[in-house]
Amino acid sequence: MPELPELDPVVHGKLRLAVLVLLVGVEEADFTWLRDKTGSTDGNLGAQMMKLEEAGYVAMQKRFAGRKPQTLYRMTPAGRKALAKYVAALKLLLGGAL
Amino acid sequence: MTNMEREDGTTRDDLVQRVALMEAMIAEGRRNTGRFGWIFILWGLVCLIGIGESYLLPQSYWVWPITIVSGFVIQFIGIAMHRRSGNWPSENLKSRSVAAVWRMMGIAIILYAAPAGVTHTIHQIAYIAAIFMFLGMAHAISAVILRWRAQGVVAGLWWAGGVATYFVPRNYVITIYVVEMVICMVLFGVYAMWLERRRAVALELHHA
Repeated sequence: MPELPELDPVVHGKLRLAVLVLLVGVEEADFTWLRDKTGSTDGNLGAQMMKLEEAGYVAMQKRFAGRKPQTLYRMTPAGRKALAKYVAALKLLLGGAL
Repeated sequence: MTNMEREDGTTRDDLVQRVALMEAMIAEGRRNTGRFGWIFILWGLVCLIGIGESYLLPQSYWVWPITIVSGFVIQFIGIAMHRRSGNWPSENLKSRSVAAVWRMMGIAIILYAAPAGVTHTIHQIAYIAAIFMFLGMAHAISAVILRWRAQGVVAGLWWAGGVATYFVPRNYVITIYVVEMVICMVLFGVYAMWLERRRAVALELHHA
């Protein structure tokens, strides 16, 4: 019997997974946009984004829009690879239900 | 896999939930939360004010340049305000394509209209018809990208107006211009804003 695939714990977190899926479809995303789309709080999202950054799955950039600071995130190639691997593992575990 | 827990404590229900979450986020990401309806209203009003001013001041060469520049300034301020409020969408291929269509159309219209206006080497009807065709084309491409039927109808109205300008008596051309600006810019903008508002309310309810 083949061994069941491991699920990447960094990707598996609900909010982190939501963020990664959102980031796959965009070039870059503002923190506020991610917060609104996921319906999370500033504190929770900030903590989860830090974990994703530490894992090397997202890259953060700070810049100014006028006088207002903006925090932008983009997915890294490692993040894309991790998400693809996670989806493949889910497929296998759910018997191709995806 | 049954609903029994894996070694890491994950059950089948957890995984099914993750799939549902991913589907919901894909749908969220596709949803354009940008607010663009006001830009149509703005330019509709700019064009109506411009035509009104040129009717009142027929000898002034500065009416249109000043009106158009004022439109750009207001648009610039409006976009800056939206960006500051965090009400500006993140870029994806679709939004970038639509934005590119409108930017390039704006550049094409300026490059076409400015020399024509300065040199007066083009017939007034051909001039208006060409602008309508530009606008119709931008709306049509955007309608195809966004799969938005209402915008396709607006594109058709611009093109119909452009063709009609050649066939109606000359003094009716201005009527066509005003009707097109009111329907295809101002009312379309109001409709777009209404849709944006409805979408925003739905999103708030979804997150509540």
